[in-house]
Amino acid sequence: MQTSRREMLSMLAAAGGAAGLSGPAFGLLSTDPVLAAFEAAAANDPWTLGMADAPAEGRDAVAERLHGRLPSGLSGVLHRNGPARFTRNDWRYRHWFDGDGMVHAWRLTPGEPVTHQARFVETRKWLAEEDAGRFLMPTFGSVPPDSQGMRGPDYMNAANTSVMMIDGALMALWEGGSAWELDPDTLESRGAKIWGEGLAGLPFSAHPKVDPDGTIWNFGQAPMQDALVLWHIGADGQLRRADMVGDVPGGMIHDFAVTDRSLVFLVGNLMWDRARLPYLDSFAWDDSRAMRVVAIDKADWSQRRVWDLPPGFLFHIGGAWEEADGTIRVDAALSDNARFATEGARDAMRGHVRPETDSTSRMRLITLRPGGRFEQAEFADSYAEFPQIDPRFTGLERRFTWHVGWSDNQLRGASQLVRRDLASGETRRFDFGDDIVVEEPLFIPASDRAQEGAGWLVHTALNKRARASELHVFDARRVDDGPVGSWRLPYANPYGFHGCWRSL
Amino acid sequence: MITISTLVLAAATALTAAQDGEAELTVSVTGIQQAGGQLVVGLFASSEDWEAGRSAAGQFVPVDGDSVSFTFDELPAGTYGIKLYHDVDGDGEMDTNLMGIPTEPFAFSNNARGRFGPASWDDAVFTIEPGSNAHALDLR
Repeated sequence: MQTSRREMLSMLAAAGGAAGLSGPAFGLLSTDPVLAAFEAAAANDPWTLGMADAPAEGRDAVAERLHGRLPSGLSGVLHRNGPARFTRNDWRYRHWFDGDGMVHAWRLTPGEPVTHQARFVETRKWLAEEDAGRFLMPTFGSVPPDSQGMRGPDYMNAANTSVMMIDGALMALWEGGSAWELDPDTLESRGAKIWGEGLAGLPFSAHPKVDPDGTIWNFGQAPMQDALVLWHIGADGQLRRADMVGDVPGGMIHDFAVTDRSLVFLVGNLMWDRARLPYLDSFAWDDSRAMRVVAIDKADWSQRRVWDLPPGFLFHIGGAWEEADGTIRVDAALSDNARFATEGARDAMRGHVRPETDSTSRMRLITLRPGGRFEQAEFADSYAEFPQIDPRFTGLERRFTWHVGWSDNQLRGASQLVRRDLASGETRRFDFGDDIVVEEPLFIPASDRAQEGAGWLVHTALNKRARASELHVFDARRVDDGPVGSWRLPYANPYGFHGCWRSL
Repeated sequence: MITISTLVLAAATALTAAQDGEAELTVSVTGIQQAGGQLVVGLFASSEDWEAGRSAAGQFVPVDGDSVSFTFDELPAGTYGIKLYHDVDGDGEMDTNLMGIPTEPFAFSNNARGRFGPASWDDAVFTIEPGSNAHALDLR
């Protein structure tokens, strides 16, 4: 096998005398222009720590307490997932969403130290590529040199987007293939979850919704067929039904909403065009058509209502509810274009950020009335992403959404946590300032009977000055007071996408 | 009528592809994940037949371990391609999921892989010389 540049450097270092000398001193510049650009950016921009590779063996540490303490009722595990391996054999992925999934467990027990554990999901792809020492598979946004074709979607499954507990197992979720099952205590991978005959390899997307009674709803998209797979799983974790539903336009769908009666899909205008590699290039921006909203009856998947909204794009939805006359209200982080997905997340792999391709999503409250009428109200106070709600109110009328925020002239990630009152429009906001990149906050109710919004927000962050990942806990009602407790790891984790809370 | 013309066409293409001399092809398949069932194998002699699914020869090969090998005899030398799948449940059909994606392992000659569908003839084509030939495929 060819000796990689890094292996050569470590051999030279081991031979003595090479300490303190960098690659360029040996004339060993990266030949991959994306890797070379990232290494140059990483030399002076600590934001790039969130786009760097995590060690293949994973991570384990006790977090240092910075201030405060865990609230007495907050006991459990924050699981998170995100892309954490971008480079092999001196070649770097072209898109942030390509990295292999690393699943985290932050264990929070009042009176005990906060601990952190992380392991790569041992997908088929991960194992084959670890063995080969190079990337073998085309991914969402990259075609590595000499990559192989695919025998099915799970051959490129990176299991890197989210996590959820189903029937005692931790599922690492991706958008284009199977959920990958892990042991929640050890984070060891068990393999692809197959729900039944004819269901292997079907997409099980990364934003399942859980009704207050524990019923799980999910979808997977077949954009080239203008179709969805719908999943209905009982509170016992057993599959109730999975089937195809047609005539849903093939605009890339990342998230959806449920009400007590409906499954609600907002189809943005990054539309399936024709099959190309990398997969992302199969989609093209098309604002000649509407942003179609489809609400499918939970009880009868042949029944639907549709609305045609002005063109737009979204990754994430806060939540939705439905009124007696069938009016649906849904809040989501929407933008007028998909440039972050198609370009900004590519810039990130070079360690670059440009204002014209950075994310510009803002929260919107959309009211879908009977007969195809609708209204939209945009909250213009800040950019917004990763909206979260009190999970007990999934599908039900509610007031609050929590999300990360950032201001107009601010690049390189969010610095704010925001609580937004949809009824009054009031916001409460905490801004960490320039050193901190805030990641998705999860809301954890103070108790089963607590009123909406009474509980905690738990989130991770990258502290660029300390070059370390942190965990912060807020009183969710008083976000503006700042964290009630903060902890720091002895290392920086790559930025993650989404998490779940497992109460213990 | 259709059957006869198809046969004539298949024979004609086989003749075009053929070179001088008879050949024998031994195919060994490794990386079988699950014992049981059978391999369903088609040998194709031209690009047109590859696209149309008209095989020049075919075999059903019982699977009793993680590898098997089998032989095609009395072949005209020439260019060929192989499509095979592991019919794990032995029902004679290539099982697919709701979206039509195969759920039983499959392979093409040269271990070629498709991108959004089957491998192309250009990637899968290989040459059978007069005499003995061997071809190795991996189902992993």
